Amino acid sequence: MQFTWTKDEEAFRERLKAFLADTLPEDWERFSQHGPASPSLTRYAESFCAALAREDLLTPHWDKDIGGQGLGPWFQTILAEEMWIAGEPRGGQYMNVNWIGPTLITYGTEQQQQRYLPPISEGKALWCQGFSEPGSGSDLASLRTRAELDGNEYVVNGQKIWTSYAGLADTCFLLCRTSDDRKRGITILLVPMDTPGITVRQIPSLIGEGDIHEVFFDDMRVPATARLGEEGQAWEIIAYSLRNERLGIPRYSLARAALDRAVSILQHRGDFTREAVRIEAAEAAALTEAARMASYAIVTRRAEGQVIGQESSSARFATVMCERRVAEFIVEHLPEALADDHPYLKMHHQRGIVAGIAAGAAEIQLNIIASDVLELPREPR
Amino acid sequence: MDLALTDDQRAILSAVDTLVRPFEAAPLHDAPLAATSDDLDAQLRLNGFLDVARDPDLGTVTAAVVIERIARLPFATEAAFSAMIGPLLGEVPGPICLIASRRTPQLVRFLAPGTTVVIVGEQEVESFVATQDHLRAETGALYGYPMTSLVALPDERQIHDIAPSIMFIRWRAALAAEAAGLLAAALASTVAHVSEREQFGRQLATFQAVRHRLAEAQVRANGVYWLAMKAAGTLDPGDAALAAWHAQESARACVYDFHQFLGAMGMTLEHPLHMWTYRLKALIGELGGRASNAAAAADALWGLSNS
Ligand SMILES: Cc1cc2nc3c(=O)[nH]c(=O)nc-3n(C[C@H](O)[C@H](O)[C@H](O)COP(=O)(O)OP(=O)(O)OC[C@H]3O[C@@H](n4cnc5c(N)ncnc54)[C@H](O)[C@@H]3O)c2cc1C
Repeated sequence: MQFTWTKDEEAFRERLKAFLADTLPEDWERFSQHGPASPSLTRYAESFCAALAREDLLTPHWDKDIGGQGLGPWFQTILAEEMWIAGEPRGGQYMNVNWIGPTLITYGTEQQQQRYLPPISEGKALWCQGFSEPGSGSDLASLRTRAELDGNEYVVNGQKIWTSYAGLADTCFLLCRTSDDRKRGITILLVPMDTPGITVRQIPSLIGEGDIHEVFFDDMRVPATARLGEEGQAWEIIAYSLRNERLGIPRYSLARAALDRAVSILQHRGDFTREAVRIEAAEAAALTEAARMASYAIVTRRAEGQVIGQESSSARFATVMCERRVAEFIVEHLPEALADDHPYLKMHHQRGIVAGIAAGAAEIQLNIIASDVLELPREPR
Repeated sequence: MDLALTDDQRAILSAVDTLVRPFEAAPLHDAPLAATSDDLDAQLRLNGFLDVARDPDLGTVTAAVVIERIARLPFATEAAFSAMIGPLLGEVPGPICLIASRRTPQLVRFLAPGTTVVIVGEQEVESFVATQDHLRAETGALYGYPMTSLVALPDERQIHDIAPSIMFIRWRAALAAEAAGLLAAALASTVAHVSEREQFGRQLATFQAVRHRLAEAQVRANGVYWLAMKAAGTLDPGDAALAAWHAQESARACVYDFHQFLGAMGMTLEHPLHMWTYRLKALIGELGGRASNAAAAADALWGLSNS
């Protein structure tokens, strides 16, 4: 085991830090309180991602033959950490580079790749992910939005919900039902958001403007060429996409940075001598570092070329634990952080509280750990 | 020992029920997160419900009963300090805000021009009536109470002949009674959601993982309720500190669980859950948090020294 970074990895992190320091505007911490899907951050992300692209820092983890530099999983982790610590200035574009691009490269037709990949690697595209529906959250496979082939067009009817970025996205990665087979009846359509028949409603949220939406499809028509892969192939394709995303966002990195910031504020004003506060801060730090190590163990296996399966759920739940503890520490010992005085901490709170919900509920992760890691007998249905 | 409500308390509770009926439905609102109603505030004051503890026959337990009931409303209204602390201060204009130090800036619930700010110091209790110069509104604060930063103190302050220790007892009892109401209402809201919402072909409420944590929340909310009532009844420093600690610890545990069980729905302003949970969050940081209340409880129960 080796608990230090290589020179190249360190240099890469330093390069990212320097880039962020040079590029982000001076009032960034305040500005980044706008949710990652807010109009202002989305607009900012366009220029930021374009700048990243110019420095070859937007898709360095993609393979060389698809326009990346083939930097391995550790560099991808470092990139994700530094961006997330900074408040994710890539906005919604992080999805493009993490999984939408690689998925299009693996499953897309040449025409689809020519259309969608250049804007992604230039930092100009914004996608939304049309998975969840009012009746289908944790039970995604029950989704009902229907796509029916009519000549050489699909006609789509149904509703999505919680769709981040939908208000501003140019394209939707949409899951639709094309047959009644629970998982093999689901098909992916790549849908331009300005197609007639789409209505988007923003849902006012606790976590910042523009974050979640309802998207309605009323007799929306797209050519059959908008289909990604074959009919019924969606489940297999998403499984592939998620392999690129298994670890999800490296939330432990921002949680730890927020904790460090909170402690330094407490120290500065003379409130870090109370034993109880010190102990609680240390407990929170133990959880962020446990989550980090659990994640790094998975990255190690990826770097060795192994396919990562359900065991990543353990690392993901560890990040939920640390997010929770850090958020609670700050609310308890620095309550004004949720007002206006410490925008970085407020930003962390807004991003952190969805850790156990967005991208799959924590309880589902626990079920996976129980069934697939502990191999416990299943509950009777 | 008899933990039943008296006839008077039952009558008052029933009158409060009637008065607040129009305010039971959660109002639709956008940011800021706090929902308030001038009408509700005025009616509670006008009808004397915040003055029950001034009547020696009713006392502070009745105040706690009223505080707990009003906290269940989706609207945030300053009832707790007016009802529990007001009688100690004599005639001061409400709402009442409490702070434990002269530090500025500090975030204060319900602070607005015309409110009475009481500083419970280590040695003495002082108060002043806030004016615009003392304040900075915090409309972006992520709490379910209207929040304001106190940015300056006037030089002239009224000194009250009350021991700070007495104030802290009532502060803790009031906080616990309020938390009890918030926990009960947030729990009811969560129970309603998981009983209705189906995933995997069954109600969420049928998953044992959900049932157990909600059942635990019931035990916590019940414990906070009774510790709050006891603290209000005995006005004992140990009882009050235990009640406040249990309230804050339960708030911490339950707020997370309730939001988990609502899924994305709990992140919207269209579902009322946040109107209770985001008030609980604010209570977690008050009075120095759990550690300070635990220390106060240990001091009261077993003394300060080793032996
Ligand atoms: C900020 C945010 C952004 C999002 N962005 C998108 C997006 O861009 N695109 C998209 O498609 N979706 C998005 N989502 C939706 C997200 O994927 C869902 O919220 C998530 O899958 C959970 O579904 P749900 O909210 O319907 O909760 P439900 O499925 O209703 O579950 C609610 C709770 O019930 C409990 N529960 C559920 N099933 C079980 C079980 N089997 N055992 C035990 N407990 C259980 C869990 O505690 C769970 O949290 C977003 C959500 C959030 C909060």
